[in-house]
Amino acid sequence: MSLTWRAGGGIIFQFCTGGRTLPGYSLREVLKVKSRALLAAGLVAGLVLFSASAADKKSADYVGVYSGEISTLNYLVSGSTSDQEMAANMIDSLVEYDRFGILKPCLAASWKNSDDGLTWTFTLKPGIKWVDSKGKEVADVTAQDWVDAALYISTKANASQIADVLTSVIKGAQDFYDGKITDFAQVGVKAKDKLTLEYTLTARVPYFLSMLTYVSFLPVNGKFLADKGASFGTDNTAILYNGPYLMSVYEPQSSRELIKNAKYWDLANVLIPRLIYKYNKEAATLGPELFLRSEIGYAAIPSSILDTWMKDPAKKAQIHPAKTNTYTYFYALNFNPKFKPEFEPDNWKAAVNNLAFRKSLFSALDRKAALLTEEPYAPERRMQNTVTPRGFVSAAGKDYVDMGELAAIAKKDSFDKAAALKWKAQAMKELAGKVTFPVKILMPYNSGSTEWTNRAQVIEQQLEALLGKDYVDVLPQAFPPTGFLGATRRAGNYALQECNWGPDYADPQTYTDPFAKGSNYNWPELATGYGTKDKPVYEDLIQAAIAETKDMAKRYALFARAEAYLIGEAMIIPYKNGGGGWEASKLEPFAAPFAPFGMSELKFKGQTVLAKAPNAEEYAKLEAQWQKDRTAALAKVK
Amino acid sequence: MIKYAFKRLLQSLLTLFIVVSFVFLLMRLLPIEGYFGDRFQKMSPGEVEAGLQKMGLLDPWYAQLGKFYAGLAKGDLGVSFIYRRDVAVTKIIAPRIPYSMGFGLTAVAIAMISGLAMGVGMAKNKGLFPDKLGTLYIVFVHAVPLAVYLLFVQLYGSSLLGLPILFDKHRPVSWILPGISMSLNGIAFYAMWMRRYMVDELNKDYIKLARAKGLPNGAIMVKHVMRNAYVPLAQYLPAAILATIGGSIYIESLYSIPGMGGLLVDVIQRQDNSMVQALVLIFSSVGIIGLFLGDLLMALFDPRIKLVKSEGAR
Repeated sequence: MSLTWRAGGGIIFQFCTGGRTLPGYSLREVLKVKSRALLAAGLVAGLVLFSASAADKKSADYVGVYSGEISTLNYLVSGSTSDQEMAANMIDSLVEYDRFGILKPCLAASWKNSDDGLTWTFTLKPGIKWVDSKGKEVADVTAQDWVDAALYISTKANASQIADVLTSVIKGAQDFYDGKITDFAQVGVKAKDKLTLEYTLTARVPYFLSMLTYVSFLPVNGKFLADKGASFGTDNTAILYNGPYLMSVYEPQSSRELIKNAKYWDLANVLIPRLIYKYNKEAATLGPELFLRSEIGYAAIPSSILDTWMKDPAKKAQIHPAKTNTYTYFYALNFNPKFKPEFEPDNWKAAVNNLAFRKSLFSALDRKAALLTEEPYAPERRMQNTVTPRGFVSAAGKDYVDMGELAAIAKKDSFDKAAALKWKAQAMKELAGKVTFPVKILMPYNSGSTEWTNRAQVIEQQLEALLGKDYVDVLPQAFPPTGFLGATRRAGNYALQECNWGPDYADPQTYTDPFAKGSNYNWPELATGYGTKDKPVYEDLIQAAIAETKDMAKRYALFARAEAYLIGEAMIIPYKNGGGGWEASKLEPFAAPFAPFGMSELKFKGQTVLAKAPNAEEYAKLEAQWQKDRTAALAKVK
Repeated sequence: MIKYAFKRLLQSLLTLFIVVSFVFLLMRLLPIEGYFGDRFQKMSPGEVEAGLQKMGLLDPWYAQLGKFYAGLAKGDLGVSFIYRRDVAVTKIIAPRIPYSMGFGLTAVAIAMISGLAMGVGMAKNKGLFPDKLGTLYIVFVHAVPLAVYLLFVQLYGSSLLGLPILFDKHRPVSWILPGISMSLNGIAFYAMWMRRYMVDELNKDYIKLARAKGLPNGAIMVKHVMRNAYVPLAQYLPAAILATIGGSIYIESLYSIPGMGGLLVDVIQRQDNSMVQALVLIFSSVGIIGLFLGDLLMALFDPRIKLVKSEGAR
């Protein structure tokens, strides 16, 4: 039993039994029991003084509050991040990232790639076990488990939302998915023996190893899967585990609890004994208060209350900036306008095909002012001058964004008042008689986001104030969250819109997807003067980069060239990275696996829960140290 | 009465059929991307097609509707596709109802006892301090957005009384704050209407006659005024009790109560058609039965009310 002090709640008596902590009871609750029980409680309370270390040990559990419930534990079908967070902590992959973002063996002890780059052979670690939700051994993990998982994912009737990641690279998998072949033996995933797994690819894929950290390449025990049938993954007893944690409690819309897997192969690196998740639909509102009452170990601090926390020294001492991630946000200029005549799509089309007009918008957009709507403290750390974030990948000791023509773009803030006015004058001259001024700029936003709503107003005022209402008429339009993208971006129903994209693998190619021909972001292939519709310049640049699969430095430089072209021609305006904001967190910073994409960053492996949440200064020091250590670690790899 | 009940039953079934079919068809008009959430923009056309196929959305609407009613006839409400993938709808809903009903019935009981007593007290002290204080409470509850005062009740109530901030089924004390929160609005409702009907009754001639006959004030209040004043409120009682199945959207969210509150909104937002259909069916049935029982109860309280035309009635 332990005694703790809860703000406003007085002394809390907490009982632990069999390694499990029962709910705490307030002094008032305890006083309600009869005198005999009270005497016993007092006696036990005295004993608590001698068990401080045990109480400290309990504090190492992670307790969090969440509002987004998982929809399934069937990791072979779900594309949702909430679901994948569970999978990341319960199922291991062939390889994994360490805390510096370096790939290392996980369930695979070693691997080799054939000379043509098409065949990858993995040798599994022996003795890895599948266990059930109670930790009881069920079966060995074997190479066949990856074959069974691939079969399930590639079977169209199972409606896996993550199938494309696998079928796009594994030989024959797409044909099997489409029903063109029915014999799975023809698909390029084979168990050569119990511990040898072989993947055959459709083409050389230089980032294939990074793909293996995604859910699409997780294993499953085929017999268990067949036994469970449609109920596989419907609750914590309907899956098997081979990862660091088991789900011992699963009560949807109430709580869930993950405990250490005692049979885990890398148990020494699993430091948090239990991960306790409490559901609350209002988690975003209540989280900060629950953190202050020490009921949880993590809370995001929304920008609406950040000022209050910053002004209170006791609260300020408990928060620090949250890590940014590799999600990228940019403003897209639409070359395929399909909006209503009242917003003058033809006029916009004529204007957007003029470089000077695009450059005037590019230089006039004050991204810092826009970012203040969500990041009132230090917005610069979120600003991004390129589509691909800094730190995503590097080659030959150079970060991708510092390569070739992209380097100059990455260093310079695009906001430049003088340049904006110069481009405006030029555009007005060049477009005189061809375009009606002011040009109406339809700018949709999602009314479900208060920050986006505010940002739309800021951008409207800022652009019109700088460029003049004689030149542009920015028209923010609210759209409801339901079907937002279908009604706006995908339908071409915008002139200028904030868009985003997250990477699918560790290669700059992933950031070209929104702009490649056939995508539905802003259709740069339709811009006039940049090749033909069938052979656009940007597409050529991408294809040249994709073709280079051996020399990574060269490949990245070619992608950097394509990205520099897209930004240089002001077809998009890079804006910010993802994540960020502020948080109160007792989780040890920079101890978790680091990765530019996938599930690795959702893992608790390697982390501890600290006694106190680091403040901004402490966090900055830890970040600087991590950066330094990471640079050294990356250098060693090369 | 039996004839009346039979007629109402047929009307209810027709109403249910119209409501459920209408909602069923409306859900089919929602955008496809809503079925896949944020993942949609990363999904290939094949993946989208497979998802729609699994949900049965590629069939013609009449085939989907027919399949739904065929399942319903066998007592099968289907499985959830999005909210809890592949789990039977009944398995998702069943464990939630006891929580919502437990809290709801407690709240109705608290609201009725406190609200009616408060209304009586206010009516008896019309224009005096207790009446003004009661009116202030009623106005406050109705004027201030519930999201504001319920949050205050939760944060300050838990600090001042040392009660848990979130519901925990293992801790009985954690039921107190949500129970109180859930009854606040009901107390104001019953107090307001009880006061109003009692004041109305007190001004009627039969009360003056009773007083003139020398009946004691207590007897007048209990035997005549309260009984008559309660008749209009009685109509709401069955509906209020049955409505507890639906839970409280905000309070259940605030205290993490795994009940029914907010479930319908959640599943509509996530476009889980099976869940929406099942919940609409349940809630519509509850509403219809509640109205019917309310009529019956009112007739029981007031013998003057007849549910069927009597012979010779004009």
